[in-house]
Amino acid sequence: MEQKKSDVQQGTLALMALKTLDVLGPLHGYGIARRIEQISGELLSVNQGTLYPVLLKLEQEGAIASEWGASENNRKARFYRLTRAGRKRLDAETRGWEQTAAIMARFFTAKAEDYQ
Amino acid sequence: MRPLRRWLHRAFSLARRGEREERLRTEIEDHIARQTAENVRAGLDAAEARRQAILKFGPVESVREEYRDRGGLPLIETLARDVRYAARRLRKSPVFTTTAVLTLALGIGATTAIFTLAWAVLLKSLAVARPEELLRLGKEARCCFWGGYSQDKEYSLVSYELYQRFRDNTKGFSQLAAFSASQPLFGARRVGAQEPAGSYPGEFVSGNYFATFGVRAYAGRVLAPEDDRPGAPPAAMMSYRLWRDRYGADPSVVGATFNLNQKPFTLVGITPPGFFGETLRSNAPDFFLPLNTEPLAEADTDLYTPNNNWLELIGRMRRGAAPPSIEAEMRIELKQWLLSHWGDMGSIDRAKFPRQTLYLEPGGAGISAMREEYEQWLEILLGASGFTLLVVAANLAGLMLVRGLEQRRQVSLSMALGARASRMVRQAMAESLLLSALGGAAGLLVAYAGASLIMRFVFPAPDGRSAVPIDAAPSLPVLGFALGISLITGFCFGIAPAWMATRVDPIEALRGSGRSTALAGSRSRKALVVLQAALSVVLLSASGLLLAALHNLENEDFGFEPQGRIVAHIDPKLAGYSGDRLTLFYRSVQDSLAKMPEVDKVALCTYSPLGGNFWGAGIWIDGRPGSGTGGGVSAAWDRATPGYLSAIGNPILRGRGIAERDTQGSRHVAVVNEAFARKYFPNEDPIGKYFGQHGVESAREYEIVGITKNARYFHQELGEQSFPFFLLPEAQHDFVPGKASMDANPGSHILHDIVIAPRRGATLSIGRIRQAIAAADPDLPVISIRTLRAQVGDQFLQQRLIARLTSFFGLLALVLSCISVYGAMAWNVGARTAEIGVRMALGADGRSVLALVLRGVFTLVGAGLAIGLALTFLSGRFLKTQLYGLNPNDPVALLMAVGTLGLFAIAASLIPAVRATRISPQQALRAE
Repeated sequence: MEQKKSDVQQGTLALMALKTLDVLGPLHGYGIARRIEQISGELLSVNQGTLYPVLLKLEQEGAIASEWGASENNRKARFYRLTRAGRKRLDAETRGWEQTAAIMARFFTAKAEDYQ
Repeated sequence: MRPLRRWLHRAFSLARRGEREERLRTEIEDHIARQTAENVRAGLDAAEARRQAILKFGPVESVREEYRDRGGLPLIETLARDVRYAARRLRKSPVFTTTAVLTLALGIGATTAIFTLAWAVLLKSLAVARPEELLRLGKEARCCFWGGYSQDKEYSLVSYELYQRFRDNTKGFSQLAAFSASQPLFGARRVGAQEPAGSYPGEFVSGNYFATFGVRAYAGRVLAPEDDRPGAPPAAMMSYRLWRDRYGADPSVVGATFNLNQKPFTLVGITPPGFFGETLRSNAPDFFLPLNTEPLAEADTDLYTPNNNWLELIGRMRRGAAPPSIEAEMRIELKQWLLSHWGDMGSIDRAKFPRQTLYLEPGGAGISAMREEYEQWLEILLGASGFTLLVVAANLAGLMLVRGLEQRRQVSLSMALGARASRMVRQAMAESLLLSALGGAAGLLVAYAGASLIMRFVFPAPDGRSAVPIDAAPSLPVLGFALGISLITGFCFGIAPAWMATRVDPIEALRGSGRSTALAGSRSRKALVVLQAALSVVLLSASGLLLAALHNLENEDFGFEPQGRIVAHIDPKLAGYSGDRLTLFYRSVQDSLAKMPEVDKVALCTYSPLGGNFWGAGIWIDGRPGSGTGGGVSAAWDRATPGYLSAIGNPILRGRGIAERDTQGSRHVAVVNEAFARKYFPNEDPIGKYFGQHGVESAREYEIVGITKNARYFHQELGEQSFPFFLLPEAQHDFVPGKASMDANPGSHILHDIVIAPRRGATLSIGRIRQAIAAADPDLPVISIRTLRAQVGDQFLQQRLIARLTSFFGLLALVLSCISVYGAMAWNVGARTAEIGVRMALGADGRSVLALVLRGVFTLVGAGLAIGLALTFLSGRFLKTQLYGLNPNDPVALLMAVGTLGLFAIAASLIPAVRATRISPQQALRAE
């Protein structure tokens, strides 16, 4: 069970990271983590580090690319950006999520008589 | 695509592992710095801000671990890490590592060395094109000549006429080649060169021989069907080996004229380096001559005699042909051919006609004379080395168990900290496998040295030339074998400690004292000691049995006197003697040697006893029409000059031996042995009776004038009743019946061996013998001079080698078992220190403590001996079928083995036992 939960979490985390990069453009790891934390609330308020393996996996799959750059405080930082393949994947997964969410929503709002 | 891309990415990033870790570190630093700055902006002080940032980031290690698992190939990476870790641990205990690697190297090396030989002799295919298409005639190798129109069991040797019939009529073969079953020696000299004639093994081959094998000439051309026709200019091929060793690969050899047995041959080509003829044997042919030159080179008529079966066949199947149908085809041809000779067949041949059949066998590995000869020996040796390897593995398993126990606390600590059990097992296995890999690598060196050594011992090189067509250098299959058995060995001795690692209870680490670990695993160790003792008993007994059998062989009554006699090997053909000149020449050699004061007796013979050669013949006894080859009446025979029997020390029981008065003009006589007399004249006195060896018409050829004691002439005879045997005077030539001028057996007058019996107490140097022979004819090459004892001993070369190697394996096993016994006992005493201390405090004295410890040893070793003896009886029965003269229940050998092991085991356990008696109760209790 535990394993499953973390799988779901990692899947959502990956999708959130992709969406963040889609909306905000190239960004470093901390920026992505902050953004996800701000929007999702509790998902990344602890264990922010778990984001990094997810980023690596996305990069290995070709959804994002990264390169070194200098950030505002003149520190060396890794900047991530969405690739074309990543954008396609984001679109596909967004659609998938929306469908799932819509179906689930209908389920949850259904009343007893709907089942007649 | 995605999984592949990810995999590639991972594989690539595996190479950049360090870079990736560095990247993560930088990113984490950046992340924490930003969060810290954020927290400071929110009003926290610097230290607290950083603390909060780190907390929020979460467990860095697990992120790093997960990151690592994502990148690279986790399996390979953890494997690499395990191996590195294992290497570090092994480096930390150099004594253990060295011992283990050396032990493994010996075990793996010995087994691999034997495998190298077994591979080359038993399994390797000929160096020819598409060996799987080759078929040979005959299930068993048969040497080298069979007269008549019927053969027992199977028709496996054929005459030239029958070969031609098979070749021209068998549709299933695209090529069918014939070659002589014996290996004649040729006297060879390059015409015009200032070199003495040498004597080299050769072979008569059909014109399509090289085409059949798909072998091309290394230089010049191969023999072709045009060379193998009556009247074709005599052509020959030379082996690459002789060309390189004797002629320095001189290109002008090709096309040069060579005198082979005094007849000029044009050397048309050199065979390729890997080709040693169709038969793997220690004396591979150096000259290949067309079949049709046989009458020229050998000066006889084998080629034209349809019932002289002297050829073996090997053929290449046509594409799509099936061996059973070719076999059926040839069986019909055989019957038809035999029927066409119905008029020439005797009554016995005719009676046996319905049973005549033939068999085809896969020919890819060649007709391996060596295989027939060495197969059983190699099997014994493979068994012995395999047992030794088992002992090695058991020994190492014991060592690893101890190591496992020592590391138990560490393991339980690791498990308490969350390490997975599978990881611990992997680590333990990594250590075993690394050890066995190291051992295997070192073992390859041992195997190479060992195989070369064995080969030099079994197949001594004649006069410095590379003799055996076997390469001791590890080939790919040998490397594979070594790797395979290393891994299996490593797995065998690693599995127990690895299994133990999984059974560690994390609580133990916390309990601290490690008290409960002391006796853990001791049962497995005891089992290992028992196993080793058992295997050692088997090996020791086997070597004892083999040594005893060898001793019996070497010291049996040969019927002649090997002690003190010297045999000089010559070849008068090489000096150009033949026909009538031979008798005079032998006379002068004999006189020249007899003149020396050191020499007591001297005589010449075709082949001296146990020299590896003999003649056999079917015989016709006067007044018994049913005898002869067809009637199974046959005997071995030899020719000799006067005085031969007393020179060799073979006593004459009745009558007389060969004497000066037996000349060509006088009555032709024969001396027979007891076996001959008993078998063919069971109820009568053979002296004065007649027999002959050239058909019924010759039955009054020889008059029996004497009976000798049975003498062992041939190795094949060992363990069997003596063959019937007769001796003829060299001076008397037999003629083909009806053709008064045609010598029936010219080859038998070429006497090869001079037997010299020195005077009692005199020493005779080889130089003096050479001088005396040279005085008779300076051009006569002396091929070798050695004692008759050495010649006899050579017959037991393999037996001796097997016995020695098995002894070596036995000793190795003994030493390893003793080490194990010592280790187990030392451990046992250490673990029971407290118990022994208490016992002593309660009044036990040194002797009862000693008894306590030794009782443990007796139980273990006794169990091992019992199991070992049971195994020995089984393996002894196997050995008995393999070796003549071996008594599997030889009590001396068995007692020696058991006694040796028992004594050594007790000696090995004495040190810990004595140490136990020195335990002082106070100390023991305080140590608790």
